[in-house]
Amino acid sequence: MSGADHHHDHHDHAEIGASGRPGYYDMLETAVRELLVEKKLIGPDEIRRQIEVLDSRTPALGAKVVARAWVDRDFRARLLADGRAACEREFGITFYDDTELIVLENTEKVHNLIVCTLCSCYPRPVLGLPPDWYKLKPYRARAVSEPRAVLAEFGTILPDDVEVRVSDSTAVVRYLVLPMRPKGTEHYTEEQLAAVVTRDTMIGVVPVGIPSERAAS
Amino acid sequence: MTETEGLVKRIPNDIGGLPAERVEQVDHEMEPWEKRCHALADVLDFHKIINTEEKRCGVEALGAEMVGKLSYYERWIVAFANILFRKGILTPTEVALKMKEVEARWPKD
Amino acid sequence: MSKAAIVPAAGEEPIFRPGDRIRVADRAPIGHYRVPTYLRGKTGLVEAVIEPTLVDNEEEGYGRNAGSRRHYYRVAFAMTELWPNYRGSARDGLRIEVFESWLARA
Repeated sequence: MSGADHHHDHHDHAEIGASGRPGYYDMLETAVRELLVEKKLIGPDEIRRQIEVLDSRTPALGAKVVARAWVDRDFRARLLADGRAACEREFGITFYDDTELIVLENTEKVHNLIVCTLCSCYPRPVLGLPPDWYKLKPYRARAVSEPRAVLAEFGTILPDDVEVRVSDSTAVVRYLVLPMRPKGTEHYTEEQLAAVVTRDTMIGVVPVGIPSERAAS
Repeated sequence: MTETEGLVKRIPNDIGGLPAERVEQVDHEMEPWEKRCHALADVLDFHKIINTEEKRCGVEALGAEMVGKLSYYERWIVAFANILFRKGILTPTEVALKMKEVEARWPKD
Repeated sequence: MSKAAIVPAAGEEPIFRPGDRIRVADRAPIGHYRVPTYLRGKTGLVEAVIEPTLVDNEEEGYGRNAGSRRHYYRVAFAMTELWPNYRGSARDGLRIEVFESWLARA
């Protein structure tokens, strides 16, 4: 979770040898894990179980939460008042990492963007694991000091009268951006709405686009 | 400021506001060991064997060169080993011997 | 009969409230810290008190999981306060969680 200029290209390290032999760090992980299990500090199935937990968390969860907030005003209010409680109670999204969640509402006046400059804090329980670019130096260094330039690199340009508000996670709170519902979706079902909410809209680097717009551009 | 003061006062991950390149929207499919490593971090935190903040501290303590040259999960697993040594939970010898055992399961390249 | 005043434990009540102007300390710890260099000495406004009190994460990094519970605050800073040559809109802002031990009234 520390900074690096280095973009790790797996081919550089010849991770898997010709014989299929695992790379050095792979074997180090195996050695550490097996020793901890042998010493009964962790159970033999705990890693496998936690992998299942991780695999079950994807941006589709966050998308459902956003879609519900778009169609249900009362849910939206509860979500903005206590993000973790609303996700847990109403979607069964457990917060296995014991973090809190503040949902950041995008409006005509405010556009939110999330980052973790010090490491890689990210709303994993509701979005899954972050993409590499979120954890690498360019995004982490520049999102706090030149957010509009970073947004432009994602194709997002905002007028000066819209406040760009960057939230830098440093402690127990994690953030999820509640993007604005795009025009042209008035007739969409909740499922159709969820389908247009992508991970990057909930990080805040792009607004929600809908297919006809994408086809036109 | 002396030449090296900056190195001491700014930990390698404290990069907010520093100059940097364009954001390239790179991502990669996690290797199985990386996923196991992430799961291991969560399990270690759950048991409070290594809490999340200790992990962050351990990664920072690798120093600028390793932080710059190791990938994300490579940094984690080396940090875990160091922290487990410091806490007396594992010893370097144990890990080294176990590594040899793990290596021996595979034919040499 | 007069009501005895309820005495909270040390650190139990937040020192700052939403709307308070604060300044981030400009000390420079070596070792583990969670207040980025870019924030040191800057002035901002408390936006929210994070509840409940939590362990000081800078101590937690060294395995000290107890004895330091205080509040974290979500604090608002103007981008123009943080970056002398900020090239965005004057309205742009940053939000960040800061532990109570780093804040003083401005």
